[in-house]
Amino acid sequence: MLLTSIAGVFGIAPARAEVPTQNEVETALTCQCGCGLTVHSCNHVNCGSGIPLKREIGEQIGEGRSLPEILSHFENKYGEIILSAPTTRGFNLIAWAMPFVVLAIGGLTVGVVLWRWRGATDADKSPVAPVPPTSASPAENELRERMERELRERDT
Amino acid sequence: MSEIGRLAIVLGFIVAIWGSAASILGGLRRDKALVASGTHAAYAFSALTGIAVLALLQLLLTRDFNVEYVASYSSSTLPLWYTIAALWGGMKGSLLWWTFILAVCNAVVQVQNRHKNRDQMPYVTATMLITGGFFLSLLVFVTDPFERLPFTPSEGSDLNPLLQNYWMTIHPPSLYIGFVSTTVPFAFALAALATGKLSDAWIRTTRRWALFSWFFLSLGNLFGAAWAYVVLGWGGYWAWDPVENAAFMPWLTSSAYLHSVMIQEKKDMLKVWNMVLVILTFALTIFGTFLTRSGVISSVHSFTQSGLGPFFLIFLGIILAVSLGLLVWRLPMLKSKNELESVFSREATFLLNNLMFVGIAFTVFWGTVFPVLSEWVRGVKITVGPPFFNQVNAPLGLALIFLMGVGPVIAWRRASWSSLKRAFAIPVFAGVATGVIALVMGAGNFYAIVAFSISSFALATMFTEFWKGMRVRQAMMGEAPWTALSRLIGKNRRRYGGYIVHVAMVMVFVGIVASSVFKIEKQTGIEIGQSVEIGGYDVRFDGIEDESTEHVEIRKAKLAVFDDGELLGFVYPEKRFYKKPEQPTTEVAIWSTIGSDLYTVLGTYDEASKIGVFQLFLNPMISWMWIGGFVLFLGTVVCMWPTYAERTAEATSRIPAGSKTTS
Repeated sequence: MLLTSIAGVFGIAPARAEVPTQNEVETALTCQCGCGLTVHSCNHVNCGSGIPLKREIGEQIGEGRSLPEILSHFENKYGEIILSAPTTRGFNLIAWAMPFVVLAIGGLTVGVVLWRWRGATDADKSPVAPVPPTSASPAENELRERMERELRERDT
Repeated sequence: MSEIGRLAIVLGFIVAIWGSAASILGGLRRDKALVASGTHAAYAFSALTGIAVLALLQLLLTRDFNVEYVASYSSSTLPLWYTIAALWGGMKGSLLWWTFILAVCNAVVQVQNRHKNRDQMPYVTATMLITGGFFLSLLVFVTDPFERLPFTPSEGSDLNPLLQNYWMTIHPPSLYIGFVSTTVPFAFALAALATGKLSDAWIRTTRRWALFSWFFLSLGNLFGAAWAYVVLGWGGYWAWDPVENAAFMPWLTSSAYLHSVMIQEKKDMLKVWNMVLVILTFALTIFGTFLTRSGVISSVHSFTQSGLGPFFLIFLGIILAVSLGLLVWRLPMLKSKNELESVFSREATFLLNNLMFVGIAFTVFWGTVFPVLSEWVRGVKITVGPPFFNQVNAPLGLALIFLMGVGPVIAWRRASWSSLKRAFAIPVFAGVATGVIALVMGAGNFYAIVAFSISSFALATMFTEFWKGMRVRQAMMGEAPWTALSRLIGKNRRRYGGYIVHVAMVMVFVGIVASSVFKIEKQTGIEIGQSVEIGGYDVRFDGIEDESTEHVEIRKAKLAVFDDGELLGFVYPEKRFYKKPEQPTTEVAIWSTIGSDLYTVLGTYDEASKIGVFQLFLNPMISWMWIGGFVLFLGTVVCMWPTYAERTAEATSRIPAGSKTTS
């Protein structure tokens, strides 16, 4: 369910029923001429794959089919390899989910690390003299201190 | 000459074995003679690979088609410049070129460190010689660039026409320099682990090398994009091809390292993580080499399928096993201070930035290898193309640019709420204002509006930093604005050079977003004398010219470009028909301005009807990417340029210990 939500957020699972544009379908399919580009991007002169595919896409759109229906048609006819992105079914769902799982684990790790480091500092913290209030922000004070240090270095 | 080249690579391989063994033994036994022998071997290795490169170049220039490599990648009509580029145009030559660059890096490292890092240098030398030796072993035992044919063809097969482009002469060398120079930080990291000298010394020693390799990886990727843009003729520059991905991944981990290493230098933290990033970056360069040469993943960029894949996989396995083994062994010595005063600090933003870089690197890696995984598990071939990479990486890219804006302004250690409000007031205003303006101007795409807002926010933080620093200098020193600005940068080269690089990255990012989202394209037939309109330009087809040389036949269309009825100039998109091999290519013609590129491609031309079929693209703001490349160069030079103190320290280090000096 979580994976389906992720897919939904990023528009991976096209659920629209309306007729797609030629561009949308061409981008969702890969040219089989070996160029590695989408059908939309392949511009080989007299391409034996791209040109018939573009024509077929036009026919499918002309029949008023939705994007999922058209992609399903091409998948059934040419196999999954023609889709320019993995489907969101079965094993292929791992392709979409894994980057987010890894990011979530990484984010959690960063959060835990930051929390522990902060805890370590709190435990070791010794009383410090209060900083006198100034009109400048800490960032500006830091900048000014740095400048003064550099100017001293320059003078010596 | 082929015999000399062959002898050079065989001797180079033997020297690499001897040099690495002598260096390791010398390091372990603290035997100066053995260590010195290893150093001499490194120099000899450089000389021998240099001789081999010169030999292959000589064979190419003299068109010795009896040599298989020369016959396969050149011809008698190939122009001189591309004949030189043929050196890295084929797999064998590219491996030799790679080894040569590594050998040169090794020699430079030896010179730089002849009076310092003496405990670590044997292991540095050994690591670099083992890597170089591995590449030479492929050339000696598997794929000999000097192999002679049993007969001499009257003509060569020629360089792939797609490679006969000026970008191709500089894209591979840049990328190779970037790839190969990651070996230097890796070698020093291994040396630090081997010797247990795990202070920041190895990081300081390799800081410029890490920047150098990152810079060339950046250039290599940008040049590759420029090559794809002008050669492939589909109006784009990046297709998430496996080989493009292979070049992009080390750039991402290298970028993460350049940020996280600052935390180690400033706060003595992330020691293990930095080691991991250096190891990962180097491993990814080898993985990229494996991808392009194994044939395991199909790509338009890759070399012909070869039997080299298993060798690269084994080498990659050894690298990971040895380096990670050493890392685990030294874990107790890599304890960091690990203190953080606040989660609202620059350290925290750098950690998040690393998460994003590594997250994108993982996504790219995962998307690249998933087709192979799918075939293994399900027996079904699938494609992982641009829709996958764009959808997953776009939010991460946005987050990175946002962190780029946050990082410089937020303080080290702790940032208070009030300081955050002050620091971010102008950038947040700039970001919101940009979003509103984009919306009002009709930029209906949500991602584009967010991307422009965040980019504006990031740029505003950078400019605010320059402005504040300049004002402080003016107030304290009474300097004129330009003097204050130049001295501000000169005194803080690393910091402000980094900001300049950030500005460059925002420019590249904006160029990518604008050219992707707001691209206009049109495929149309135009009769001679007629015009079509695209994105405010009128394009008139003025005619066709044919040219022929012994090397290529060219059909060139003449297009007049008008804006508001005013003639701006002419562009000449071409179709070329190369004679050896018989292959058509597209030569696009671009009318480029700071605002957009009018990108024209000649499809076909019908003599009878006098109609030419053209693909026309209007790519908004794409030139920002290339200008960003120049800004990146500027920023990197500022970062790398040594300060007076560094130059003095370097000069002092050249004086051998115990030598007399006069005052």
